[in-house]
Amino acid sequence: MAAAAVGAAALAGGIALYQHGETSAPRDGSAVLALVLPDVDGRQQPLSQWRGKVLVVNFWATWCAPCREEMPHFIAAQTKDGAKGLQFVGIAVDQVDKVREFADEIRLNYPALIGGLGAIELSKALGNDLAALPFTIILDRSGSVVHTQLGPLKPAQLDALLDRLLASP
Amino acid sequence: MIERAFATLATFAALAFGTAIAAGLPGLAPKLLPPEQAFRFSARVLDPATIEARFDVADGYYLYRDKLHFTAQPVRVLSIDLPRGQRKHDEFFGDVETYRGAVTVRLPLASPASGKLVVRAESQGCADAGVCYPPNPQELTLAVPANGAQPGPFVEAAPKGLFR
Repeated sequence: MAAAAVGAAALAGGIALYQHGETSAPRDGSAVLALVLPDVDGRQQPLSQWRGKVLVVNFWATWCAPCREEMPHFIAAQTKDGAKGLQFVGIAVDQVDKVREFADEIRLNYPALIGGLGAIELSKALGNDLAALPFTIILDRSGSVVHTQLGPLKPAQLDALLDRLLASP
Repeated sequence: MIERAFATLATFAALAFGTAIAAGLPGLAPKLLPPEQAFRFSARVLDPATIEARFDVADGYYLYRDKLHFTAQPVRVLSIDLPRGQRKHDEFFGDVETYRGAVTVRLPLASPASGKLVVRAESQGCADAGVCYPPNPQELTLAVPANGAQPGPFVEAAPKGLFR
């Protein structure tokens, strides 16, 4: 039922975006903010709770080595700039026990939501045409998508972008 | 149920939304192959009780040995010996083995097949460019001749999936 609501909201967001057409201007991120997924404890977490923050949504999996390799940098960035309004959220295309084990091992300090293999379809709907991982979507404080990336984010490139986004109100 | 809801979301949203976002993907994306092209699955009949499965892995891509599985219908595949791969150290999983280039696997069948035999492979691999693909099921159908003593031709898996 929750998933159906997400679907409807995402659809509404999608139509709104479509009407804006394809421009290089920031895109509407309401389909991202409309997602509701369970965390490792089974609690439903709506992404809308982080509206107003600089939000980095990262699709990943424990079976994806390049995904795991970039996560320590995300943890460091979350520690450094969390108080300034930066929020990372991981969406795992994976099983909950594997996610929990890995999250404990690397001391993950941001939410790991569980998407299962269905999250791949979800990421496709958000622009991940190749359905590969890692796939990351960055929203500014106004909820606009300012960056999408298939493949790892370069730390310097990410830091520069986040600094810029955190500096603007 | 959840899977289905996701599929519905994907179907609707991709039409209106996915393509617009995808247009803004950075440079890495266009060089990457979809998984069924990066990992091409084919198979042939060696004899009515033995199938040879084959993966052709594109340059710059690799498959995980322990994520490679084969099944067949209506005749079952017996246990298989996967060839040794190249060892690769993984910080989370320890030493793992990978395949590059062409890899062939003999699939002994529980009993001789005749007529149509559906062979399914599930594989999972990555690109050196720094992305991984989710487990990818592929399927093909072989025609097993009644008295086939000669190896048959390779049959390729047809592209599969909702959007390609």
